[in-house]
Amino acid sequence: MIKDRHNLIAIILVIIFGIGLFYIGTDGFRAFTAESARTYEVLQNKPEFPSVTLEDSHARTYTFDEFAEGKYVFLTFMYTSCTTVCPQLEMNMADVYDQIPSKYIGEDIVFLSISFDPTRDDPATLTKYRSYFGSDGETWRMARINDQSELDTLLEKLGVIVIPDGNGDFTHNSAFYFIGKTGHLQQVMDFTKIDEAADTVLNILDSEEEE
Amino acid sequence: MKQAIYGLMLYVFLILPPVANLLESIMIVHMHMQMPLLVISGFLMARFFQMKFPGFFEKWNGNGVPGILLFIVIWSYWMIPRSMDEAVTIQMVEVFKFISLPFLAGIPLRDSWIKLGKIGRNITYVFFVIMFGLMAWLYIGADSQICNNYLEVEQKTLGWGSLAFAAFLLIYVLQLLFIDQSEFE
Repeated sequence: MIKDRHNLIAIILVIIFGIGLFYIGTDGFRAFTAESARTYEVLQNKPEFPSVTLEDSHARTYTFDEFAEGKYVFLTFMYTSCTTVCPQLEMNMADVYDQIPSKYIGEDIVFLSISFDPTRDDPATLTKYRSYFGSDGETWRMARINDQSELDTLLEKLGVIVIPDGNGDFTHNSAFYFIGKTGHLQQVMDFTKIDEAADTVLNILDSEEEE
Repeated sequence: MKQAIYGLMLYVFLILPPVANLLESIMIVHMHMQMPLLVISGFLMARFFQMKFPGFFEKWNGNGVPGILLFIVIWSYWMIPRSMDEAVTIQMVEVFKFISLPFLAGIPLRDSWIKLGKIGRNITYVFFVIMFGLMAWLYIGADSQICNNYLEVEQKTLGWGSLAFAAFLLIYVLQLLFIDQSEFE
């Protein structure tokens, strides 16, 4: 009888331990993949966009702060040689761009696609790539970051993981990033849910206008 | 006692940074080789602890159920995609992996297995068949990358590996059911 009780206590302890372990390991059953954990953490911390120097498709260079200057920024990360997810990502971004009323575009919000493959994505390549998606090069720009350490800091801060696969391609996570006017990350959105993302952005812009 | 020393040697070998890095660089090796080897090292070392603290195991793991549950909890935890990722990126999680798999999974497994009756063992087999099956479905079927540190193709490989595990276990369980074991004993 005594032995049975010990066994029972041990079973209960193990179960409690198991629940605790899974609870902590998944942020309270919220994040079962590192990607969802990353999104969750990023949204909790709202990291500031680090200072980076961009070179866009017109070969102009400027810092991110000069470009954003008190505007919201709708952001994606891509590279032009990508044949899988990036075209989809940029297509969807174009969809969002089209859904935002033109009175906001360029005034309150700007769009930016950042390439993490600066060696191949020179201004000429970016110009060509830009034209596929109807990006005008002004209110929606495509740019590369030439300084590798700046690029790494940015990717790290926003939790973008890029792994070269050895054949000139990269495996990377994709999302829509929404940067607030103060340069802090506000939202990370699922890039496959275009309408949802556009609605979120519109709500923010509309509520801003009412104030 | 000899096997406990072999277990310790295996354990130390697996902890060596170059070995650990190499094994962790390939997803399927990480899950289906490094992790089981860690469990095996604990399994071998268990002899030492059983001889050193016989009372503890007798008292708290008398019927083998708590031990096998602990084993299942730990093993399941390491099957979560996020745990695999964080074992590579966060050092604390990595340390936890090297402690939990041998000591909280390997040792209880050995202590429990002989104590569990036929039914307990069969339930455990069935649990693992289902679990590896689910893993296969998850890792083969996921059309996006679920581990940030590994490529999607590695993810698929892991899925097929898990399916193979599930299939072998299933065959084993089926032969247990349909072949009269007493003929071989």
